[in-house]
Amino acid sequence: MKVYRAHILTCGGTGCHASGSDAVHRAVVQELISRNLSNEIAVVETGCNGFCAAGPIMVIYPEGTFYQYVKPEDVPEIIEEHIIKGRPVKRLMYKEPVTEKTIPHMLDIPFFGKQKLIALKNRGLIDAEKIDEYIARDGYMGAAKALTQMTPDEVIEEVKKSGLRGRGGGGFPTGLKWSFARKSPGDVKYILCNADEGDPGAFMDRSILEADPHAVLEGMIIGGYAIGANEGYIYCRAEYPLAIKRLTIAIDQAKEYGLLGRNILGTDYSLDIFIYQGAGAFVCGEETALMNSIEGKRGMPRPRPPFPATKGLWQKPSVLNNVETFANIPQIILNGGDWYASMGTERSKGTKVFALTGAVNNVGLVEVPMGTPIGDIIFDIGGGIKKGKQYKAAQLGGPSGGCIPAEALNTPTDYEEIVKLGAIMGSGGLIVMDEDTCMVDTAKFFMEFCQEESCGKCTPCREGTKRMIEILKRICDGQGKEGDIELLEELAYTIKDSALCGLGQTAPNPVLSTIRYFRHEYEAHIYEKRCPAVVCSKLFKSPCQHACPIGMDVPAYMALVRANRLTDAFKVMKRTNPFPGVCGRVCPQFCTKKCRRGQLDEPMAIAWIKRFIADNAKRPKIDQVPVTRKQKIAVIGAGPAGLTAAQDLCLRGYKVTVFEELPHAGGMMRYAIPEYRLPRNVIEQEVDDIRALGVEIKTNTRVGRDVSFEQIRKDYDAVVIAVGAHKSWKLDIEGEDLDGVWGAVEFLREVNLGKKVGIGKRVAVVGGGNSAIDAARTAVRLGAKDVTILYRRERKDMPAWENEIVAAEHEGVKIEYLVAPVRLIGKNGKLVGVECQRMRLGEFDRSGRRKPIPIQGSEFTLAVDTIIPAISQNTDASFIPAGSDVALDKWGGIKTEGRAKNRTSAEGVFIAGDAASGPATVVEAIDMGHKTAIDVDAYIRAKNNEPPYKEPPEETIEIPFEVDEEVVETPRAKMPELKKSERMISFKEVELGYSKKAAHREACRCLRCDAEL
Amino acid sequence: MAKLTIEDLKKIKERVEREDQFRAGSKRVKITVHMGTCGIASGAKEILDTFMNEISESNATEVMVTTSGCIGICSREPLATVEEQGKDPIVYEYLTPNKARQIFKQHILGGVVQTEFVMAKGSEHDTKKGVGK
Amino acid sequence: MSAVEKSKTDPGLAEFTAEQLAQVDKIIEANKGKPGSLIPVLEQVQEVCGYLPAAIQKVVSEGLNIPLANVFGVVTFYSFFTMVPRGKHVIRVCLGTACYVRGSQGLLDRLTHILGIEPGGCTEDRNFSLETVRCLGACGLAPVVVIDSDTHGQVKAAKLEQVLAKYN
Repeated sequence: MKVYRAHILTCGGTGCHASGSDAVHRAVVQELISRNLSNEIAVVETGCNGFCAAGPIMVIYPEGTFYQYVKPEDVPEIIEEHIIKGRPVKRLMYKEPVTEKTIPHMLDIPFFGKQKLIALKNRGLIDAEKIDEYIARDGYMGAAKALTQMTPDEVIEEVKKSGLRGRGGGGFPTGLKWSFARKSPGDVKYILCNADEGDPGAFMDRSILEADPHAVLEGMIIGGYAIGANEGYIYCRAEYPLAIKRLTIAIDQAKEYGLLGRNILGTDYSLDIFIYQGAGAFVCGEETALMNSIEGKRGMPRPRPPFPATKGLWQKPSVLNNVETFANIPQIILNGGDWYASMGTERSKGTKVFALTGAVNNVGLVEVPMGTPIGDIIFDIGGGIKKGKQYKAAQLGGPSGGCIPAEALNTPTDYEEIVKLGAIMGSGGLIVMDEDTCMVDTAKFFMEFCQEESCGKCTPCREGTKRMIEILKRICDGQGKEGDIELLEELAYTIKDSALCGLGQTAPNPVLSTIRYFRHEYEAHIYEKRCPAVVCSKLFKSPCQHACPIGMDVPAYMALVRANRLTDAFKVMKRTNPFPGVCGRVCPQFCTKKCRRGQLDEPMAIAWIKRFIADNAKRPKIDQVPVTRKQKIAVIGAGPAGLTAAQDLCLRGYKVTVFEELPHAGGMMRYAIPEYRLPRNVIEQEVDDIRALGVEIKTNTRVGRDVSFEQIRKDYDAVVIAVGAHKSWKLDIEGEDLDGVWGAVEFLREVNLGKKVGIGKRVAVVGGGNSAIDAARTAVRLGAKDVTILYRRERKDMPAWENEIVAAEHEGVKIEYLVAPVRLIGKNGKLVGVECQRMRLGEFDRSGRRKPIPIQGSEFTLAVDTIIPAISQNTDASFIPAGSDVALDKWGGIKTEGRAKNRTSAEGVFIAGDAASGPATVVEAIDMGHKTAIDVDAYIRAKNNEPPYKEPPEETIEIPFEVDEEVVETPRAKMPELKKSERMISFKEVELGYSKKAAHREACRCLRCDAEL
Repeated sequence: MAKLTIEDLKKIKERVEREDQFRAGSKRVKITVHMGTCGIASGAKEILDTFMNEISESNATEVMVTTSGCIGICSREPLATVEEQGKDPIVYEYLTPNKARQIFKQHILGGVVQTEFVMAKGSEHDTKKGVGK
Repeated sequence: MSAVEKSKTDPGLAEFTAEQLAQVDKIIEANKGKPGSLIPVLEQVQEVCGYLPAAIQKVVSEGLNIPLANVFGVVTFYSFFTMVPRGKHVIRVCLGTACYVRGSQGLLDRLTHILGIEPGGCTEDRNFSLETVRCLGACGLAPVVVIDSDTHGQVKAAKLEQVLAKYN
């Protein structure tokens, strides 16, 4: 092998690559060639070295010098100075670590600091293969104490006093179990350890066996002594080869030291321990099945009684405890039962180990005092949800357990409390699931697991689980029927009541608990054939399309942009979306959250492509639709929901009239969203398309003022209420009648009406949603010097979009987190300040976020002359006369009915958009508009005994299929933006739109998940 | 070997504690590579080999390498703890052979903690918490 | 009758070498008469022969003096035992919850597609067999695919072919 005197390592990881490492690499090679050094110095391109933030990175060996932010022009200097002269280039070296003080202490990291180690006390500290290291940490002192200073009864008493309960899942008091076996007559007894950790997602037993096998042996010695057993077995699954290896070594060492075998520590007590390798059967975790398995039989459970304490292995009295239980025993004996019982809750003592996995940031093993809230484990120790996604549920107790929804995060880890939720403590597998997990699919997964692992002995478990899977499968495949949920529940309770062993009795738990907390997901699958988490692939072609409320065919228009067929792309968009130009700018993009490209690098910029098409396609000519039906429809409100319904009904041949109070159509799109995000001509153009179909829009016509609601109902065959939610919520604090207090929607409406709005110099906005940001950025443009957003939670909890928040910050908006206004201060009727209170985060609320709690005495005053509460909006229903058959709800909004919430209590009066759903998004309003139009049409046809509407065949647009041979990681194309200086003084659109080239490049990133290969 | 008595246990304990006080012995630095199944699967064996190699190549006699089980935070593996005489242990995370080499050269031989790879210093077994002793 | 002797008459044993069969005999001999030895014997025999076809089960049954029905019952009960031959390389996809939640079903589907075999099957060239397992306890690395004794963590479906290329 060739020997080089030095190696130059350039990092070729993605991060460094993106920052230009290949140019550096080339420069090095070039420089070495030109200096004729290629024979002495090797250049190696390495994988990611993890310090991507400082890339491109270069490391030079043998010294191991680490250079960061290396540019090609630095290379000659590095070669000259470092390689030739042996003088490292100081200026490029990694920054001298400021000080080690900046490194957190282990216990300052919540992952470690919040834990309490008993069963895991030796983790990471000792070499598992060296018994001496175990002994040095008080190893075998517990056994020594038990064997030499205590009688078996005293040992049992101590364990009883500790309150220790079986950690394998059953939670049966360990001391009690031991006392039964002790009292059972018989010369031969067995002490058994269950290391058949079959519960998927739990790995604490493996970890203990691997890291601290002697602790388990010591626990078994103490247990064996207590019950009078001279033989013990550890039943360990074959899937854990390292655990078996370390156990074997540990047993040999213990034997050699006389800690196992005859006359342990010179006492009369003798114990031999054997390892029994399980052959892979989940049911063998059940104690009687495990005993059958050790006897060489099929691992089927036996009916009880007789209990193992009287007739266990080989029909002899036996005690079976799990690994974690045994690992606790030596500490209990050493420190006393009272010490152990001083931790935990009333009925659950000591600590419990949890295997924290799934969608959390810190995956690992966690030992906490019993009683620690589940939310603390997931959010403090686990560090929250990966990629900032939404918490959905955590599965506790594996296939026998249940799920913990957001509203139950405050539940303490306590056997009984957890059972109340419909879950079980189980062995402590805690699998965190985020918004991308489908709960029906999860239930099916666990059911399949139990079905596959059912030993087949009893019918309820063998057959019942099969029938349940059939139902779950058909629900996931889109074949679910009315009544399926109830049928599942009925089967579940029957199996629970009649199965022979724990496996069968608990198998239905995941189904029951997902139905309990996520019934709406089951219903979405059954009634809407929709998987809200976009997992059940039989229900959709591509994830983006399924995630879109109006099912826009994203892959199709991506393909058409790639093929440069913009008009066809535009037509595809218009099939489901009358406002593509609007959505291309302001859609929250449910689609991108599910985009598969995101798993590779970044999700597609779907909205930006949509906008590109809408802005650049040559628009097809629109012909007026002939009126073919005699019924007339009125729509109140010309927002996205009302206009969509109007369009659809017009297309079905109805004469439709839209009544709009304000001077322009567009609703919230026109009057709540600021112009710099959504230029008015974009709305105009799309509204004009709807007019061109024949929809009549009467602006400046307020129902209830210019025409009465009752009159409209008389004149039209059906009425669609789509009035939106244009009334800001009040803060409900002192001083709201002062001059200078604006509701966000009202403020934005006045501005968007073109009125001169007198805004002060110092403005506070209250809230964390998009309208708060809109109000703040608008205030900046109106000349406010100082704009502060007051938000009562933390930034990560803000419902506003991240890019909007960043843009606001760029424009100088300050955001105060964990602050809420408590009083508005006035002088001569004018606002002069707002008194605020600081908040801290307390328990979890129903949304799974921590509740802000006021800190007493933290009040401070902010001098402001304008305050804009933007906390939420509701519907102004004052146009409905008192005593109308259109009923209102208890908050003064309009009461909705039906599964789709698009009917009112009055016949022939429908409702759509924000007025029905509460403040939502444009795309959701469009969706409701579509659905309501279908419903109106169906209502009219049913009334006239007409057959249902038949969709006319749509124009065929051939969608090309062209994808890249090889997928190369490519970041999404950037969106050019208006310069900051120009933004602050005008309402010009900030995002400038893709160029043709950028759009084409971006469209090529589409993975075409819709394609059937 | 003869059967142990409790006295023997105590003697072993004292002896190991004395030896384990590598600080007092000839070893100046102790590296512990955390090798549970999780650690091994994420490449802890390679890290162990890298340290071994570095020691033999540099003829560093005052450095010892040992292994231990998982310290719990599997998602940051491979992990290794570096303990220098009289100083807080330093836990390094997401190790790669390259990082291990850099740590060996810069920290273990050079005495400069490589903060960018550090997860934490100290130990979760600190006495002030009164757990695990 | 020992396996070595039996192989002279039973064509079902033809595929095993004399050495393999001698080892089988040795395992049986060492465990004869021990209570509860069936499962350990089968584990060791499978280690030697790769799988447990009917002919081998007959040898074990006679050797340990346990009815063939019981042997068959145990072999089919435990997932560790297999009656189909294994490939040179065994691919095991973890379908434990943590892996499932992070997309291991997609990996399995992709492998089924690439190899053209269902889980439990073996490729025609006997290079790969494909199996599923319930949790390997390496949940921190989910999704996990184990090939022979190498654990591959955080596997992406798109990268599977590259990974497989290393095993030939």
